[in-house]
Amino acid sequence: MQLVLAAKYIGAGISTIGLLGAGIGIAIVFAALINGVSRNPSLKDTLFPFAILGFALSEATGLFCLMISFLLLYGS
Amino acid sequence: MLNLLNTYINSPLDQFEIRVFLGFVSPFYDLSCLSFTTFSLYTLIVLSVILGLNLLTNNNGKIVGSRWLVSQEAIYDTILNMVKGQISGKSWGYYFPLIYTFFIFIFTANLISMIPYSFALTSHLVFIVSLSTIIWLGATITGFYRHGLVFFSLFVPTGTPLPLVPLLVLIELLSYIARAISLGLRLMANILAGHLLMIILAGLTLNLMSINIFTLVFGFVPLAGILAILCLEFAIAMIQSYVWAILTCSYLKDSLYLH
Repeated sequence: MQLVLAAKYIGAGISTIGLLGAGIGIAIVFAALINGVSRNPSLKDTLFPFAILGFALSEATGLFCLMISFLLLYGS
Repeated sequence: MLNLLNTYINSPLDQFEIRVFLGFVSPFYDLSCLSFTTFSLYTLIVLSVILGLNLLTNNNGKIVGSRWLVSQEAIYDTILNMVKGQISGKSWGYYFPLIYTFFIFIFTANLISMIPYSFALTSHLVFIVSLSTIIWLGATITGFYRHGLVFFSLFVPTGTPLPLVPLLVLIELLSYIARAISLGLRLMANILAGHLLMIILAGLTLNLMSINIFTLVFGFVPLAGILAILCLEFAIAMIQSYVWAILTCSYLKDSLYLH
């Protein structure tokens, strides 16, 4: 039983590697926003809601991975 | 998380625990799901906040509302333009009250959960994922009602070569079914992770600052970090409700107009 508990904790730690993708994804979204606004500054108010939507969707996939980690840590 | 023994370590998950305030006891069939719990209390608090912000601010029903009503009108206008932009066409007006209700409920529930020692309604998996599954099911049934069996043309992207179609239909079907849980899981994972992170960091900083006077002074540095994370959590609370509303509009548009 102690081995299962130890394996759960190790798994919870390893599964947070998926948040790497979330970080890179969010950076790509905002890099595209900066690029787009620098080419055409009048599109700031059109592009900003899309950037927020992209940020939230990209963060969501990273947090799916964190959810697995929480399940391993705190699930019974 | 039923903690029968009074153990010394309090888990950071205790903030999500649901306690029963007024139990519902029934003789033949177990109806204890109708008891008054923290969940019911906080939905009543959310209801009273929403009603208060709309009814107490309308300046006795005059045409020009008070300054507090400007915030409500701003939210109404944002959601109206968003729904009109997403579900453009003849029938966007039918779905606007539903989208506004979802938005204002999740917005208020998320912001109330930011009060210290409060309870996060939207961090409960069963509630949020069942809500998103029901929305998805409703959109699917709307699609079948409107288009009949032509609804399955949603899964074939326009302009694909014919040999690739079976594979693409399977992938699109899987992606469509994943919408049911991903909509709810996104909101729930964000709010749960944010609140758990804040409580764990705050507990660690409390332990640090209670050692001696030097760590008390130094402890304001991690406290500033927690303040930054708090600001991020406020932004995420508001953004996630907007993302829920805009994705629900997008799924309804797919069902109503089929690309």
